[in-house]
Amino acid sequence: MKAIDREWIIKKVLLVLAMMTVLGIAMIIFFVVKESIPAFRQAGLSNLASSDWSPESGRYGMLVFFTGTLATSLGGLLLGAPLAIAAAVFLTQMAPRRVKTVVGRGIDLLAGVPSIVLGWLGLTVLVPWIRALTNSTGTGILAASILLAIMVIPTITAISKDALEAVPRSYREAALGMGATRWQTIRQVLLPAAKPGILVAVILGMGRAIGETMAVALVIGPATVFPKSLTSPTHTLTTKILIDMGESTGVQRSALFAMGLVLLLLAMGMILLIRLVTRRMQPVR
Amino acid sequence: MLRQETRDAGIAVLLGEGVRKAEERAARYDKAATWAVWSFAGVAIGILAFIIGTIFFRGITTALTPSFVFGKPQAIQAGGGIWPMIVSSFYLAFLTIAIVLPVGVGAAIYMSEFAKEGWITRLVRFGADSLSTVPSVVFGIFGMVIFVIYFGLGYSLLAGALTLTLLNIPTVMRTTEEAMAAVPHSYREASMGLGASRWETVKKIVLPSAMPGITTGTVLTVGRIVGESAAIIYTVGLFVRKIPTSPLQPAAPMAANIWHMYTEGALVSDWMRVANGEAAFLLIVVLVLNLLARLLAKVYQKKLGTKEAR
Amino acid sequence: MTQGNVKLERSPYPYTGQVVIERAATQPNVCDARVKIELRNLGLYYENFKALEDINLHIMCNSITAIIGPSGCGKSTALRSLNRMNELIEGARVEGKVIMDGENIYERDYRVVRLRKRVGMVFQRPNPFPKSIYDNIAFGPRLFGVRERNILDCIIEESLRRAALWDEVKDKLRDSALTLSGGQQQRLCIARVLSVQPEVILLDEPCAALDPIATQRIEDLLSELKNEYTIVTVTHNMQQAARISDFTAFFMIENQGEPGRIVEFGETSKIFTNPDDERTEEYITGRFG
Repeated sequence: MKAIDREWIIKKVLLVLAMMTVLGIAMIIFFVVKESIPAFRQAGLSNLASSDWSPESGRYGMLVFFTGTLATSLGGLLLGAPLAIAAAVFLTQMAPRRVKTVVGRGIDLLAGVPSIVLGWLGLTVLVPWIRALTNSTGTGILAASILLAIMVIPTITAISKDALEAVPRSYREAALGMGATRWQTIRQVLLPAAKPGILVAVILGMGRAIGETMAVALVIGPATVFPKSLTSPTHTLTTKILIDMGESTGVQRSALFAMGLVLLLLAMGMILLIRLVTRRMQPVR
Repeated sequence: MLRQETRDAGIAVLLGEGVRKAEERAARYDKAATWAVWSFAGVAIGILAFIIGTIFFRGITTALTPSFVFGKPQAIQAGGGIWPMIVSSFYLAFLTIAIVLPVGVGAAIYMSEFAKEGWITRLVRFGADSLSTVPSVVFGIFGMVIFVIYFGLGYSLLAGALTLTLLNIPTVMRTTEEAMAAVPHSYREASMGLGASRWETVKKIVLPSAMPGITTGTVLTVGRIVGESAAIIYTVGLFVRKIPTSPLQPAAPMAANIWHMYTEGALVSDWMRVANGEAAFLLIVVLVLNLLARLLAKVYQKKLGTKEAR
Repeated sequence: MTQGNVKLERSPYPYTGQVVIERAATQPNVCDARVKIELRNLGLYYENFKALEDINLHIMCNSITAIIGPSGCGKSTALRSLNRMNELIEGARVEGKVIMDGENIYERDYRVVRLRKRVGMVFQRPNPFPKSIYDNIAFGPRLFGVRERNILDCIIEESLRRAALWDEVKDKLRDSALTLSGGQQQRLCIARVLSVQPEVILLDEPCAALDPIATQRIEDLLSELKNEYTIVTVTHNMQQAARISDFTAFFMIENQGEPGRIVEFGETSKIFTNPDDERTEEYITGRFG
């Protein structure tokens, strides 16, 4: 009797611990919404959605930063995703065992490089290069995209690799057995079969790129206007929050939380997108 | 009759000169693609080597000396060290682990051993998924609002540890669940068949067998915490002169201090040197933790005589 | 089935591989007495483990050759060595020769891709691609440069007809191949192999995953196909080997860890009624039980 009681208590305690995840996300949403309400009340939606950020005159538009977030993360994906998928193909289909171990561990390690360290390297190496090559400040979307590309590679590689490994061996045998070359097999059978998984990988990579802060903050500029080119300073949502939060009060601070809310919504959107993709791939497999 | 002819044409194509051409083209593509993929992989590794090489080289040539590593930081003059920052990083990491490990492991035990698939598990999974996609800067401002201001902790190690706990729960949960899923079902059946309760089975059979996976996961989480910056800048602090002693004191983990050097660094003339040194030191810590994780996995593997759990 | 005596002789001309088949003059020729593939002292290693040793076989045109033997004796490995599918396993290594139409397929510059087009393979479990029925069959022709729609249509119809599947699927060519039953899927895989006009078809226990009725259909199909193709099949099922094959090779391993070897090879009727080797007899009778 006593044993059952103890078991019951333990189970409830564990349940509470598990519910911490739900409590955590609920609190995050609650507080971010709560803190951003003044911005919506006092500045209004059209003000917040404009492209004019000048708190001293009561303008809190975040469109520039939103655009910056989209541009840098799409740029990062454009550069990083092909490299990462190629790396996954390499690791699962081409690499001899020893090379595979070395490259695989290398990419794992890349995932561990702290973003501030990567940003620091971007600031001190990449930005001067770009500055020299393009005769500009060197900071901006291009530099940020390159850093983000490096940061999404481990994520996309790891998940694409899993997806490719999950493709039944028999597909590969069937294709090769008919006289397909290795590349034809990869291109026409393996990649299509792994497509949902690779899509999830790219979406998760996108999530990582959107949320990345420090690496981007060091190389983005900063400036509160639309960039004139890929190599002129601008801002993203995350970097604006990071840089301004320390010195903001009142509506301006609240507007920063509203940006946080936009980031939260983007993150939730990613999750829904992934659920949609994975659900749609169930019946096919 | 046309059909017959087309059919013959098809077969003729498949037996004739066309095939040779298609084969040659396919072979060329195959070669080109192989070459391209190898070089892509080479680029990826090249980038990594470049990153690690540059950071190390710079750190070692310009900064990493004993007086720098163990020295006192300077706020307005050159020649400062980073010892309090190193201590801050590890203090924060261990404090966070102390909170996140029981929570994450407990949640994982619930999910894999006790829960029945239903709305609760779906909710918990949704919570974990959401937490793992929230950008770390959002954790940062959330932590600032609730722990620093609302709970009145101020900029402190504890506020940072609580923030990082939320950030790391999903990872700890996932690695633990994976490690427990790798424990054969027959172990549990054997234990319960002998009359052990579910919790006794978890405590005596499942957790010990999952220990290797949990340990490696924890070591890697330490690496993530030490490298995290966006979530701690507004919860822990950016610069300290003294080594923090209590969890309620502000601290300045290396990652946050690099940011400080960049934004306020002009105050010290050798701010580049400090940042270089901290970057190199951070990278060394991450590499060592990675190696340690692998080593531990190997040691456990030998001890248990089983395949690596992860 | 002929009761004739088969004597296999090493050809004096290394690359023509003629064999002399003595049989009662009254018997119609089952095959045209030509050797399609000759395995000469074939041995195969996985890393340091020797899986096959000293395999000598002659595979005749327009006939079905069955490879039988207890599990783990290297049957499938031997089959896979005929289109170099064993190379997909890292560390696999071959010694000896496999000569098809006068050429050693393990020659350094031999085109594997072409070999696999000429020597198609059907696997133990049906493995259609997760594509439509149409695209499954069109896969091969497309690889080899057939793009015109009407030609593809014809190849597909032809292949499906030959695989005795056309009538069942002609109205749903656009459906996913995974909606078909197991037996249909296996015939689809045969059709897929036929679509590239192969010369030899290898089947690795093609009926292992099928029910008796589906098995019957595949067997009928194979008997029909042998008029146009050379067929080699691995099978676990003694009755099946006896029913459909013209020649049978019996593989065995002496002891655990030793390589598989051929115990006996000859016309199926002889192997099943009057084998030379005691072990063949034991195996066959044991199985017929």
